[in-house]
Amino acid sequence: MEPENADREWKKGSAELLILSLLEQQSRHGYEICKLIEVRSGGALRFHVTTLYPLLYRLEERGFVQGKWIEKPEQRRRRYYSLTPQGRKVLAHQRQSWREFVAAISRIVEPENA
Amino acid sequence: MPDWKREIRNRLTSLQIEPAREAGIIEEFAEHLEDRYQELLSGGVDETAARKIVMRELESAEFLPDALPARERAPRPEPVPQGETSSGNPFADFGRDLRYGLRALCKTPLFTFVAVLTLALGIGANTTVFTIINSLLLHPLPVTEPSRLVAVCGTQAKGSKQAGGLLPLSYADFQDYASRQTAFSGMSAFTPILAMTLERATGPQRVFGELVTGSYFEALGISPAAGRFFSRDETAVGASAPVAVISYNAWKGKFGGAGDVVGHTLEINNVAVTVIGVAPPGFLGVSAIFGPDLWLPSALCEQLFPAEFHNALTDRSKTVFHVVARLKAGVARSQAQTSLEPLAAALRNTYPEADEARTVTVRPITDELYWGAGGGSSIVLSSVVLLVIVALVLAIACSNVASLLLARAAARRHEIAVRLAVGASRGRLVRQSLTESILLSLLSCAAGLGIGYAGCRLLWSFSPPEVAQNLLEPKLDQTVFTLAFLVSLVTAFAFGLMPALRSSKADVLDALKEDTRGAGRGRRAVSFSNLVLVGQIAFSFVSLVTAALFLRGVQRAYNMDPGFQTQHLAVFMMNPGQTGYGEARTKDFYRTIQERVSTLPGVASASWAYNMPFWASASRAISIERREPRKKSETITTIVNTVDTNYFETMAIPVVRGRVFTDADRDGTLPAAVINQELAEKYWPGREALGHRFLLAGDKTPRQVIGIVRTTNYTTLGEKAQPCVYLPLRQNFSNGMTLYVRSKADPGGILAGVQAKIRRFDPNVEVSDVRTGPKMIGQVLWAPRIAVALLGVFGSLALALASVGLYGVMAYSVNRRRREIGLRMALGASRGRVLGHVLRNGLTLVWIGVGVGLGASLLLGRALSRMLFGISSTDLISLAGASLVLILVAFVACYFPARAAARVDPMVALRDI
Repeated sequence: MEPENADREWKKGSAELLILSLLEQQSRHGYEICKLIEVRSGGALRFHVTTLYPLLYRLEERGFVQGKWIEKPEQRRRRYYSLTPQGRKVLAHQRQSWREFVAAISRIVEPENA
Repeated sequence: MPDWKREIRNRLTSLQIEPAREAGIIEEFAEHLEDRYQELLSGGVDETAARKIVMRELESAEFLPDALPARERAPRPEPVPQGETSSGNPFADFGRDLRYGLRALCKTPLFTFVAVLTLALGIGANTTVFTIINSLLLHPLPVTEPSRLVAVCGTQAKGSKQAGGLLPLSYADFQDYASRQTAFSGMSAFTPILAMTLERATGPQRVFGELVTGSYFEALGISPAAGRFFSRDETAVGASAPVAVISYNAWKGKFGGAGDVVGHTLEINNVAVTVIGVAPPGFLGVSAIFGPDLWLPSALCEQLFPAEFHNALTDRSKTVFHVVARLKAGVARSQAQTSLEPLAAALRNTYPEADEARTVTVRPITDELYWGAGGGSSIVLSSVVLLVIVALVLAIACSNVASLLLARAAARRHEIAVRLAVGASRGRLVRQSLTESILLSLLSCAAGLGIGYAGCRLLWSFSPPEVAQNLLEPKLDQTVFTLAFLVSLVTAFAFGLMPALRSSKADVLDALKEDTRGAGRGRRAVSFSNLVLVGQIAFSFVSLVTAALFLRGVQRAYNMDPGFQTQHLAVFMMNPGQTGYGEARTKDFYRTIQERVSTLPGVASASWAYNMPFWASASRAISIERREPRKKSETITTIVNTVDTNYFETMAIPVVRGRVFTDADRDGTLPAAVINQELAEKYWPGREALGHRFLLAGDKTPRQVIGIVRTTNYTTLGEKAQPCVYLPLRQNFSNGMTLYVRSKADPGGILAGVQAKIRRFDPNVEVSDVRTGPKMIGQVLWAPRIAVALLGVFGSLALALASVGLYGVMAYSVNRRRREIGLRMALGASRGRVLGHVLRNGLTLVWIGVGVGLGASLLLGRALSRMLFGISSTDLISLAGASLVLILVAFVACYFPARAAARVDPMVALRDI
């Protein structure tokens, strides 16, 4: 698999977890989510408009997040996404699975385990 | 600031998201892009670069479709049939198919428009032709049980076929047949249509009338639209109160549809007649084409036409009555014929002088209906030719729409494969496709009926306005609607079935694996459309060549020499006898008018003649004195024309030998005649005809040939030579004559002057049928001109449709080969070479089509050569002209796809791989 494709596949697998995680503490708008992913991953992960929003819409469709148009003083109208109670449960579940998955993978790929 | 919203909206259009949701998505995306743009700007990137980066990010992945939740796209279900199986209720299924079909058509308005327009033109052309055929051939007589009507004609007892003439009967003979026959439930006689003068407050007006015997309307089985028909007393000879029945069109037109027209008194040919009824609409008498304005009892004939019908009710040699009869139920035409033969034999014995060698024949009524129009068979032939042409035009339209559907099906192949994969049956898919085709064809049917109606109106607008009310009026009736509907259904299957079967055959796995952009018809499908295309081009070529041949024929006919001059000719028809003038006064009228008109400025000479140019036909038998009588089967009939002095000079007909009529040829002197060369050669081959005497049928005294003139055209242009006898007016009086005027310059300039002169001399005489030579030539060529117009229109239509087909196939093939072309260009092929390559591919098809068409048009041209006024079927100008037009149009149709191919960006095309 070419590196670019690999990146895409990784993103697909983990994107939902990333978004749900970022919404755990507070509601955020799409651009903010994008920027946070980019900054916190040190530029390794980058979401564009066409990948982020379809994911957000799907999460909303499944009832994990809720989008709401909010108008704050001195700011443009924006759509803020927040976690629903169901989303919180899913996040906890996914986080647990991720940890187990990473640990399992690490046990295989880390040199000290060889 | 870049218009992000527009960029996003453009990309969302094809997804057809519910509008409110779409607006939300657009706003949210635009916010995002704007934030990103501002971020780049603040990072020191310039505006253009920033915009480019943002746009690239927008393009960076497959746009929404894959990822967008299903709910967003749900409001508009796909028009392709879904995977569900039949609901078990065929009507519900059909309704659902119909809804899908309608949505599919609305979704692709351009496709729908082009397909409907294409089919509508095809259906419209068929409707036009069928409407005419329906009125002319299928329903020519609006009477009860027309199949039981027959015509009874007189004929020579032996060899009637060679003598060729089906003759009218005399009134007295008709009465004998009518009173003794047993085969018919009704039998009636009528004269040909006669021009009469109707006196009105505004002055005299020409009308057409028919004299009929008492049971005419009863025998035909029609009911009046108003009033009643003739009673027995009213039609008896010597009836005290003359009456008339007027036609529906005359009532609506000439009498303004007045409610009180029944009971109205009209002055016809100086006789006061009372209108007692109005014939039903569409009734033209026993004629399919031209009908009279009014019907009068035959008993009035001598009162109305003292000269022409003198003794017509008693003299058995005056055969002027056509006979129509209604067979009794269960009696066949042949039985009727057998039953009449003894009656004919009895008449021959009783009246040997008049009825010698005469018998009667019972003919189909169609012989009478198309009398004067070349007979039923030539109308049937022309109709069949026209039907074949329009059917081919429709076939072209169908194959084009089939191509469009195929191309569309190719684009949908992926989706159809998905439906098949989730369990839709093939039959279900085919049915859905066909429903869509039926929907298309029904839309086209409605539009086609509109085009057909307009087509009929347009064709009929060419008919001469002065007789428009008397002409058959084609109507879109139930039969036409039914046929158009059936044709549309057949059409739907013709163009819809193949694409439906082909598209539903998609191999599920292949299609799913394949990129939709690469999906398309296989080589076989393309070569099949190539074959169809070659056929279309060949047909267009044949139509164009035929149209060109007719056009050239008509052009030549305009320059044909009819044997007399037409460029400086004007004619004026008059009937002083119908104004009530006696013989002496009428003769005086003729003499004075000739003298006065001759001296008008601009007039070179003037004369009188009985026949109108191109209106004569051979009608009288001729026998030569002191000569073994010819066999009856060899009887020669001749045209007879009564002319005044100066006639041959006015018409510029050269005198071959002898002399022409002078003032000396008058009553009391030797009966003289001038004959044409054809008659001279036929009767006196290799001998001098001058001085010989002959007898015209019905005449008592023989006439002497005093001159021989050149043979001219009498019935139509370029006709076969016909014998003609000219009689001097001063020995052969007639109530009505036509004034022939030869002008010094354009005849149009003298029309008003001549009419004013006549009116000043006698305001009571109506001048009708004023025509100039060139106008008469135009009227004679009416039928071939219509043929040129129809063939031209249908030929152009065929060419236009074939060009659209050519364009479609070329564009499709270029699109399919984009990658190949891209690769060629990437490997160094120049744009010019690609252009040439694609053009060559398209034009090869055109050449093959032209080749096939050329062969076919040579064959067809040979069959048509009789109607081409001497233009050869291999006429180079027609063939070259048609080829040039076709190749030019085909070139344009190929050029645009070829140019598109040459503009393929190698990178873009290759990226698609």
